[in-house]
Amino acid sequence: MSASAEPVSIELKDIVQEYPNKDGNGVLRVVDGISLTLSPGINMLLGPSGCGKSTILHMMGGVRPIGVPTPTSGTVLIDGKPCVEAHDDAVMVFQRYANRPDLTVEQNVAFPFRLAHWRARVSEAEARRRIEETLAAVGLAAHRKHLPSQLSGGQNQRVALARALVLRPRILLMDEPFGALDAQTRGEMQQLLVQIYEQNPCLVVFVTHDVTEALALGDRVIVLSTQPAKIADDFAILEPRPRSATWQRSTEAVRMEERILAQLHAASAGRASLRVSV
Amino acid sequence: MAETTSWNPYAPLSAQTTRTLGIGAVVAVLVLWALISATGLVSPNKLPAPWQVAKAFAYLAWDGENGRSLLLNATLWSVGRVVAAGALVVAIGIPIGVFMGASPKVNAALSPLVDPFRSAPVVALLPIMVMWFGIGEWMKVLFLFVGAVVYLIPMVRDAVRAVPQAYWISARDLGATPFEAVRHAVLPLAMPRIADAVIVGVSVMWTYITVAEYVNAREGLGQLIQNARRFSAMDQVFAGIIVIIAFALLSYQLMRYLKARMYPWETKL
Repeated sequence: MSASAEPVSIELKDIVQEYPNKDGNGVLRVVDGISLTLSPGINMLLGPSGCGKSTILHMMGGVRPIGVPTPTSGTVLIDGKPCVEAHDDAVMVFQRYANRPDLTVEQNVAFPFRLAHWRARVSEAEARRRIEETLAAVGLAAHRKHLPSQLSGGQNQRVALARALVLRPRILLMDEPFGALDAQTRGEMQQLLVQIYEQNPCLVVFVTHDVTEALALGDRVIVLSTQPAKIADDFAILEPRPRSATWQRSTEAVRMEERILAQLHAASAGRASLRVSV
Repeated sequence: MAETTSWNPYAPLSAQTTRTLGIGAVVAVLVLWALISATGLVSPNKLPAPWQVAKAFAYLAWDGENGRSLLLNATLWSVGRVVAAGALVVAIGIPIGVFMGASPKVNAALSPLVDPFRSAPVVALLPIMVMWFGIGEWMKVLFLFVGAVVYLIPMVRDAVRAVPQAYWISARDLGATPFEAVRHAVLPLAMPRIADAVIVGVSVMWTYITVAEYVNAREGLGQLIQNARRFSAMDQVFAGIIVIIAFALLSYQLMRYLKARMYPWETKL
């Protein structure tokens, strides 16, 4: 269902990001020379809170913070083309849903089609079709008339995910999307993501600070050290999804977990704080 | 330890108790007022008795001799001025406030021109407004407008800025232009607080209406009070004040009700 048959790619070339210090003297380097090539699959960006992984994700989405050139140096290439502003290929999903509280589930999912950009590109009938299909895919068809305040956290995140999926993005950028959910709901949402991904494979970049989540979802796990962020480790997981609880307790998985934690400790001298969820 | 309702801001209070306590307090003041008048402790020229005020109210409401209602006439004029000024405040103040909220540059330029007036005595501007706009209807409406708009603009600006940035970023990422992001993602979320600003603005106008109508008004509640004072008809002064308070309260409650109906999704703090 992708817009093009070509597999999409993201390339980061020697990315450095610096922010001016609050006191006005000098700069704070949050990302330090990251080079990375991502291809379709679920790519986990794992690192401690505040290590700059969201900053990297924003760069891929072309979303710029105000007043600071991003990246400070280096380039982000999407399909070999420099990415300098928000683009159609990638859609972001945030931890804080960003659902409009005054709109119903259905209206929230249809939100992108209010914008001139998408009205010019997607016909009304096509939009209608995609909305229906996506509502069903995330399991919200029965809740279409509800307001976000009437939904649980997990359902709200389904709305946010659906709003991204109606645009049929080739790249899905997820910024700790399930970080605010309870353990059980998080598990359900992970299953949903896997299901959606299997039906419509694309390039997912999934930021998390949860080691268990990274091992449950990732085709590839990229471990980032804390400020400034550097790549501490980068490996593939070949185990097919859905990954059973048995696999997650297997020697292979436990070794990966230990490896991640050891790498992080070495790279950030104990400053890192990661979550291993139950 | 037993639950206490004193020194406990979170203690639930039934609607029944709330009503009883509220009405009780008003009745207590009325009784005290009646006692002071009945004992002749304070001269009726300074404090008319409740029944005198009631009589004055009845006279103002319907003057049988001349077959007219002074109160209805005055109220219509005052309400008309508040509505006219309110329309101006909404039509001019909200766009300015939204602009200031949506653009730090516009805010930096306009806030020194607007913010100081929030704490400045707007009443002191009255002589200037009389000089500029004369003593006619325009001056009264513009005075109400200025008095209210200096409260409204900063509130609208703050309402826009209080919307979490995540909504703007998310809309921009979905392909919204900066204008669309404000129009479709930020503004709808700011609406309940903008409605609060309008409510405050209208309440402020009710406090300024008497001042506006002190100057050369032939009609209006302020004029009615002013006129009664000139003839030392303290009972009519009291009746007039009570009507203004009643209208301010009524419009406040009505606007609160409308706001709750329009924005039922607003998260309760």
